[in-house]
Amino acid sequence: MRKIPIKFTINGQQKEALVQSNELLINLLRDELYLTGTKYGCGIGECGACTVFVDDELVLACLTLAVTVDGKEITTIEGLAKGKELHPMQVSFLKNAAVQCGFCTPGMIMTAISLMKENPDPSEEEIREYMRGNICRCTGYTQIIKAIKEYAHNMKA
Amino acid sequence: MLKRINKFEYFAPSTLAEAISLLAEYKGKAKLYAGGTDVLVQMKQRKITPEYIIDIKNVPELNGITYSPEGELRIGALVTHRQFAISKNVPEKFTMLKEASLAVGSVQTRNRGTIVGNICTSSPAADTPPALLALDAGLKLVSSTGERTVKICDFFTGPFKNILKDTEILTEILIPDLPENSGGIYLWHSKITEEDETLVGVGVVVSVDNLQNKVCKQARIGLGSVAPAPMRAVKTEDFLKGKILDEDTIGQAAEIAANESLPRSRAEYRKEMVKVQTKRALSQALKRIEG
Repeated sequence: MRKIPIKFTINGQQKEALVQSNELLINLLRDELYLTGTKYGCGIGECGACTVFVDDELVLACLTLAVTVDGKEITTIEGLAKGKELHPMQVSFLKNAAVQCGFCTPGMIMTAISLMKENPDPSEEEIREYMRGNICRCTGYTQIIKAIKEYAHNMKA
Repeated sequence: MLKRINKFEYFAPSTLAEAISLLAEYKGKAKLYAGGTDVLVQMKQRKITPEYIIDIKNVPELNGITYSPEGELRIGALVTHRQFAISKNVPEKFTMLKEASLAVGSVQTRNRGTIVGNICTSSPAADTPPALLALDAGLKLVSSTGERTVKICDFFTGPFKNILKDTEILTEILIPDLPENSGGIYLWHSKITEEDETLVGVGVVVSVDNLQNKVCKQARIGLGSVAPAPMRAVKTEDFLKGKILDEDTIGQAAEIAANESLPRSRAEYRKEMVKVQTKRALSQALKRIEG
């Protein structure tokens, strides 16, 4: 089957690629662009480890065909820091020890940033509801929620 | 679950006519693709292995939520759960469908998954069908040889099965206006698993003669996850018609609903929960009429 040419922006950089029809965004990111921050967890949309932004919309890279990002703008965890300066949400996760093995962390941070855009001052219940699609097997979520709360608090100040 | 999906030829038509003719051409070997949140999972699980994928995301006719002066709500096939949940074009009387949309998956899947896709997958545990059953939604099915509109209560035929032909596209959902003094709600609770699949979902619309006497003019109840396919609780609806909706009647109705539900696994618990949720849903729908 012929490969399909696509053009897209990834973390602010324009790129072109030739993809198979059945290639998933997660494969494009990890295997071809070597952006391995986005994790391949369950592969069926249950764990949220592959969460990225496509045109500012929070989506799962494991359930997105690569050909469908033609003309779109993708942001992954690698695109958050400005040079050596981490995104404040990353800082808050580090400060609150919201990371253990780290596998779920990129997805958690993307979802947390999306939450803050939609609802800058969420209650704990709203945080838990919004983060429902991101699963963590180590932290028990307490530190993650703390990190998000602290970020929201700092942004208000 | 790290399986790759099978190879296929990819089409992205830009008109409905083109999409329909592709479907007719590759009859039975093609799969329509919008959000991908169900289709790609089924492909990974090798439940389906389509040779052609027809991505309808670029078909403008399938977009949009419109509310007509006659009171009918039209939802295009590309409307995602998220778009619907935040839409300002949806009058308050249809809030229950927003509640059902918000019960689906996670933020990430709601951003991509569509209401029409939720119907087409026809999972017995889907959240929007019980609400749409209660709202008596119509579904417009279009193929190269014509179109037909069916009521959603005639659409599902079994677990993951429906009457949609392999040449047809479900292009839009048509929700008729509600009579005066109507209230609706969708209640659900889920299994505690990674995907939080709905264990029991109840959609209810009740209409009363007037707010003083609370005589039930009409009731429609949709049940999810308690039968091989989403179902209407017809016996319960018949029982309620013409009765005064007091606590006693609502309690009896909830019993009837539990009895007519057909759960297979965890049947006893599910039936009990149909009773609990139907009772709650009827009382809360009634409160919503009062405003």
